[in-house]
Amino acid sequence: MAKIIIKDIVKRYANGFEALKGVSAEIAAGSFTVILGPSGAGKSTLLRTINGLETQTAGTIQIGEHIVTPHNLRQVRSQVGMVFQHFNLVDRLSVMTNVLTGRLSHRSWLGSLLYLFRRTDLDLAHDALIRVGLTDKAWNRADKLSGGQQQRVGIARALAQQPRVILADEPVASLDPVASEEIMGLLREICTRDGITVVVNLHQVELARRFADRIIGLNEGLVVYDGPTGGLDRITLGKIYSRNGDLVDEQLETMLAYA
Amino acid sequence: MAEEIIQRPALPKKPFNPTSVWLSGWLALIWLIIVDLELSFETLLYGVQDILEYFSRYSRPNFDDLSRYVELLGQTLATALWGSTLAIVVAVLLAPFAARNLSPNAVTYRIARELLNFMRAMPDLLLALIFVAALGLGPLPGALALGVHTAGFLGKFFAESLERVDNGIYEAVTASGASRVQLVMYAGWPSIQREALGYMLYIFDRNVRMAAVLGLVGAGGIGLALHDTLRMFNYDQSAALIVVILVTILTIDYLSTWLRGKLN
Amino acid sequence: MSNSKLCWPTPNGRPGLVPTLSLLACILLLAISASAVELDFGRIVTAIPRMLAFAGNLLVLPDWEYLPILAKNILQTIEMTFLATSIALVISLPLGVLAAKNTSPHPAVFHATRNLLSLMRALPELVWALVFVSAVGLGPLPGIMALSFVTVGFMGKFFAESIEVVDQRQVEGVVAQGASWLQLRTFAHFPQAFPDFVGTVMYVLDHNLRAAAILGLVGAGGIGYDLVMAMRMFDYNRLLPIALSIYIVVTLLDRASDHFRMRMI
Repeated sequence: MAKIIIKDIVKRYANGFEALKGVSAEIAAGSFTVILGPSGAGKSTLLRTINGLETQTAGTIQIGEHIVTPHNLRQVRSQVGMVFQHFNLVDRLSVMTNVLTGRLSHRSWLGSLLYLFRRTDLDLAHDALIRVGLTDKAWNRADKLSGGQQQRVGIARALAQQPRVILADEPVASLDPVASEEIMGLLREICTRDGITVVVNLHQVELARRFADRIIGLNEGLVVYDGPTGGLDRITLGKIYSRNGDLVDEQLETMLAYA
Repeated sequence: MAEEIIQRPALPKKPFNPTSVWLSGWLALIWLIIVDLELSFETLLYGVQDILEYFSRYSRPNFDDLSRYVELLGQTLATALWGSTLAIVVAVLLAPFAARNLSPNAVTYRIARELLNFMRAMPDLLLALIFVAALGLGPLPGALALGVHTAGFLGKFFAESLERVDNGIYEAVTASGASRVQLVMYAGWPSIQREALGYMLYIFDRNVRMAAVLGLVGAGGIGLALHDTLRMFNYDQSAALIVVILVTILTIDYLSTWLRGKLN
Repeated sequence: MSNSKLCWPTPNGRPGLVPTLSLLACILLLAISASAVELDFGRIVTAIPRMLAFAGNLLVLPDWEYLPILAKNILQTIEMTFLATSIALVISLPLGVLAAKNTSPHPAVFHATRNLLSLMRALPELVWALVFVSAVGLGPLPGIMALSFVTVGFMGKFFAESIEVVDQRQVEGVVAQGASWLQLRTFAHFPQAFPDFVGTVMYVLDHNLRAAAILGLVGAGGIGYDLVMAMRMFDYNRLLPIALSIYIVVTLLDRASDHFRMRMI
């Protein structure tokens, strides 16, 4: 639905650490892209920059026809759904209200002060819950659900926005294998059926191979691989997971064995 | 898409949300109270101008008697200090008995708890009235009243902290053959040292505020002076007294916040 | 012989410098201030018989005709407490948002609100009651005004502190949906801080009831006036019922608030 153009993104933190050192990529509308890379490679920073949760030091990000600036964040975020590793649901609100927070960018301040929504918002939230198969839990408190269920609520919240893009920051890192499989399947299905552009950060190479159209390999703040899943051979993986420029073979073996 | 809408699973029945009941009950209660107390906010509104005029009378603080105020202030601070010290001594002695896991038996626990409750429930001004009747005017009955009242608070806080200490620590010290007193001294107090210091600061803070008004019942300090000047419509001096009290209390407030920050 | 000598568990066997100095400073301070409080143990000892006599005087049958008035005044005290706390609650909520580091719109607003709150809670209720009584006259109204005023200072600060410790991840989950400034506060901060808010309100109710019980001393409504009059007039047949009813009401609320706070956690 919307194309993402990432151009020369540099992110330097206040302590001088450079998380992204000039990352460029173009993500096609309606595609399923997985970003791979070791911890600390800048995967999360990149994804959070796209949604404006972090502000880049240099470079531009364009989603559809909008360039992300600090001034149009609300508009951009209303089109971009975000799914988090730790779900980031508001624990004490009901599942339904959590999904409805996806509609907040369309609601006025007065209604929000009184926790009021429109009938149409409720219908959208209902549909989103149907998509993730959690209608029966609608009125439960969010923190009473299992991890996999909470992540499905997170996805429903993103869906309720009717987004053009969904960003998922390690959505399965806190889940068991079965739930991981479900969540990845759900994201893939959303991408294929609704044509929503999906970008996922992952640690599991095997999941990336099975679900993605395209892989972006990130290491030490730079893109080291950008291509189809088929191109993920031993040498490429070695490049993505190398540390300080050295290929760490044993680690790669363990990693692949795990995958 | 169309078929899906027809057979989409319905949401379960929405559970009853009691918020609206609580809220309307609350509003009804407030309305009842306003009616019962015969409060008329109209007079308050009409009176706004009068009140503003009234407060403008405080705009010229008169510090001529400052040396006397400082002396009274010294007396107030001394009252708070002695009251807090008394409270600390009493609370330290009583708290181990009022902690479920350290009290020798259920009877001493109950007695200590009820004693602390009683001390807490008696307002300090009532206690001050009683002590003034027995001891005569002056800051001493004030210090005693503050001590008795806040010992109840401090004892409860200490006891609750002692109950929250990880049981493993108590078991380890008991296992070395320690007596009950040793258990309190070597496992109890050291474990809650920091919390306890925080509570003491809080109590001192509170006692300074209260000591400033104890003068109203003849228990010394700066409160009596304020009462007298207000009664004689001496607004310039009242304003000066309020400023002196305010500055002192704010200073102590900032000092104790700073100290608490250092403790953590 | 020397091995059985008592010593402290420090490297040189003597108490540490910092604790010793702090203790000495405390003792010195107490000694200096002893004269200011007119400390006199003789006076305390001689007062004991008088205290006992006083206690003996209390043991008289209550003044039955006074009891309905007592009930009315106790009820008034409770009503003042409840109303003042409610008014303060409504004012403190927005002030608390402005006074919390993570929800305040600007650091300047944060500092201004924090200072305003500490100014409001600096003076005790009784001082404000004195001032308000001379402003609007006798009765429960000045008492309620004084209580609400000081309570806003406390409650606003407590609210701000509970808002500051909410889980940032849950907030981020709502930020990412494109929520506005206000929506973030109602949907992310408020639900998380809610249990703490309830605890604070219970604590403040407790505190205000004790305060309201003595506000009558300066003519600001409630049971305090009767208490002082009974004390001054030596109406012992009223004094004990008044003290007892204060004790009962305060204890009941104390228990209820302990129970409630336990359940919220």
